[in-house]
Amino acid sequence: MEITIKIFRYDPEKDTRGHYETYVVEGDENDRVLDVLELVKGKTDGSLAFRRSCAHGVCGSDAMRINGRNHLACKTLVRDVGANITVEPVLGLKVKKDLVVDMDPFFDNYKKMLPYLINESPLPADGRERLQSPEDRARFDESTKCILCAACTTSCPSYWANGNYYGPAAIVTAHRFIFDSRDEGASERLHILSETDGTVRCHTAYNCTEACPRDIKITKAIGEVKMAMVTGKLD
Amino acid sequence: MGLNRNVSLMTALRYKGQGPFLTYILHRIGGLGMAIFITVHLLASFLSGKGGHFINAIYENWVFQIFIFFCVLFHAINGLRITILDLFPKLIPYHRQAITIEWVAFLAIYGFAVFTIIRTGLGG
Repeated sequence: MEITIKIFRYDPEKDTRGHYETYVVEGDENDRVLDVLELVKGKTDGSLAFRRSCAHGVCGSDAMRINGRNHLACKTLVRDVGANITVEPVLGLKVKKDLVVDMDPFFDNYKKMLPYLINESPLPADGRERLQSPEDRARFDESTKCILCAACTTSCPSYWANGNYYGPAAIVTAHRFIFDSRDEGASERLHILSETDGTVRCHTAYNCTEACPRDIKITKAIGEVKMAMVTGKLD
Repeated sequence: MGLNRNVSLMTALRYKGQGPFLTYILHRIGGLGMAIFITVHLLASFLSGKGGHFINAIYENWVFQIFIFFCVLFHAINGLRITILDLFPKLIPYHRQAITIEWVAFLAIYGFAVFTIIRTGLGG
């Protein structure tokens, strides 16, 4: 089948602003949008820039706006979006070239959440791992699925308006550790999230939940963090 | 080097966030509509003569009343949904159902209100 793909293009060495270029390629309805981009880059225009790595929805490299909404290009089939496709970079992050955005601010916010286990207590008597019940593990199971693709953060209107907002992905990361029964850094993280650029900026637009390629209920996770801040309870 | 991160209002509005994003946008339109209404209403009470009469004439127009009733009612019902889901995060996974209920409640009350406003407006 014939696929028409309109791609946002921006070359920092030549352009002062972005523009769109349209390509027509021969593909299949079961192709992924990433395959179509590869076809364009491989056969028509080698200067096209986009990120990709695993191409199987695990690495989170290829988040982009496809037909006006954030998706992973490697998880989006042509048959689901139609033969006329528009591909643009995600919003709220600086565009470096074509579909490649500057992810540094995103990962800076991620690092602010102290994304590692904090536990200063001595190891258990047997000196081995800190045990956790399946119920305690299930408490934060969903937020462990995050692949840091930034599809949620860059779909958030609060983040578009204010780049200092930590964003949904960072809060999901915080949620993953705050509700981990082995972690002892919850109060520190809740303190960070209670700042002006923390959870208070979430206005429940649900764009993050809709955009998440891992189906994480992000707004719920943010709601739980908000509730923990108010009640001081982690159950 | 690179394009700046600014997202224009039109670009933001074109984002296809679906149902929940629509309520998010309408909530802000409702809030803005009420803020403008109250500001101009206060202004009208301080204005005498033609200015005040002109503003009052707008308020008394049934088309305007339909608009302002939309702003107030949608903002109130959507705000109630947001408050309930904020207080009970466990309900958040059912936000789509909550939005459906919200629309049903809104359309029922708003439909009745619009019917009454139009009947009164046309009936004199």
